[in-house]
Amino acid sequence: MSLYMVPIQTRTGDPTPYERQLATAIEGVFGEGEHSLEGLVEGLNSAGVFAPDGKTWTAESFTTEIARLGDQ
Amino acid sequence: MARVYKPGALSADEIFATGLRDQWHAVCPSSWVERGAIRKLKRLGEDWVLYRQSDGTVRMLADRCPHRGAPLSHGMHLGDRIACKYHGVQVDGEGTVLSVPGMPGCNLEGKKLVRALPVQEVGGAILAWFGLDTETEPTPLVVPDPLADEGVSEFLCYTEWKAPWRFAVENLLDPMHGAFLHHESHSMFGGEQSARFRIRETDRGFFFEKTNQRGVNFDWVEFSRSGVDWVDLEIPYPATAGPGGPFGIVGMATPIDEGTTSIFFWRYRRVVGWERDVWRFLYRTTLEERHWAVLQQDRAMLEGMAPDADQAENLYQHDLGVIRLRRMYRAQAEEQAKALAEA
Ligand code: FES
Ligand SMILES: [Fe+2]
Repeated sequence: MSLYMVPIQTRTGDPTPYERQLATAIEGVFGEGEHSLEGLVEGLNSAGVFAPDGKTWTAESFTTEIARLGDQ
Repeated sequence: MARVYKPGALSADEIFATGLRDQWHAVCPSSWVERGAIRKLKRLGEDWVLYRQSDGTVRMLADRCPHRGAPLSHGMHLGDRIACKYHGVQVDGEGTVLSVPGMPGCNLEGKKLVRALPVQEVGGAILAWFGLDTETEPTPLVVPDPLADEGVSEFLCYTEWKAPWRFAVENLLDPMHGAFLHHESHSMFGGEQSARFRIRETDRGFFFEKTNQRGVNFDWVEFSRSGVDWVDLEIPYPATAGPGGPFGIVGMATPIDEGTTSIFFWRYRRVVGWERDVWRFLYRTTLEERHWAVLQQDRAMLEGMAPDADQAENLYQHDLGVIRLRRMYRAQAEEQAKALAEA
């Protein structure tokens, strides 16, 4: 009997380069101990990791985008 | 006289090895049985067929046709029933023969001849009631509270291990392994490597917890019986995982057979709003594979243990939770074997 062992069960494909870059940057900001929404948005902008449209993040654009990414 | 298949009277050892009866057990992820699908699975040492009716209801039957015992799982899905591939006998989700096409009017029609288990879906998994005998009414199933909590977000991780189910449950009742086995991991590198433990009773089970440390490593676990047996535990995340505090695990282990186990881990976090969304994004993108690496450490250890590893142990204070659990299951297996022998 073959056993079911699937390391990734919550998505079907690899993350896109954009998703990877964003995740790494978010973990970077969080890793500094900055856990507020404002701090995160500021941290992403100063790391040069911008929204898909190339604009700097605002709290609003970030929460909209992360809700999309989080609910996929 | 019509016959209904049931396994013979099981001994206490057999019950202990293949899983306690008269309770709910998690069977598989809901996504394994899509609408219109038929799936064969072994659980508690027996073969079952699961299918989802066209109205969405999941059904679970013994995988034996009442005619000559062919596997119903080879059959055809007819919306609300399965037609056996061998001679076409049709059986519904309650195990009742609806039609014998080769011999219309045959007296098997209308009889309930296949064992059907009551099923429920909880947190993206299918759970079934495995009664000691076919007539036992299911006890109510109380959903583990983190899975019923609106303020909690969770992901189910499902896997299977080549290890007896009791090793898997005992592993969860053994928080101390966190600081050793998982010392090299994203979540359990911190804290003391020695501790004193205590058992704290609850009305549905007990806590097994360190007395000198909390919130630093795998420091406590709660074992609950709420129709289904489950554990709840908490492990801290590093700062990189963002706001929301530690993650929890609701865990269940279901015997496939005496040497193989289905593992259900609902990893959850108390997060709402953007904190929830960002956690879910990170979980999918980076965290899930780190969690998986930790789970592989457990798997390698438990699969590496001899099947009779628990025959010559030398236990110490940290093993009180394990001892407690074994006594409970052992006594219950004896009781169930007795009830079966008397039936
Ligand atoms: S064995 Fe199933 S119809 Fe004959
Ligand atoms: Fe572990």
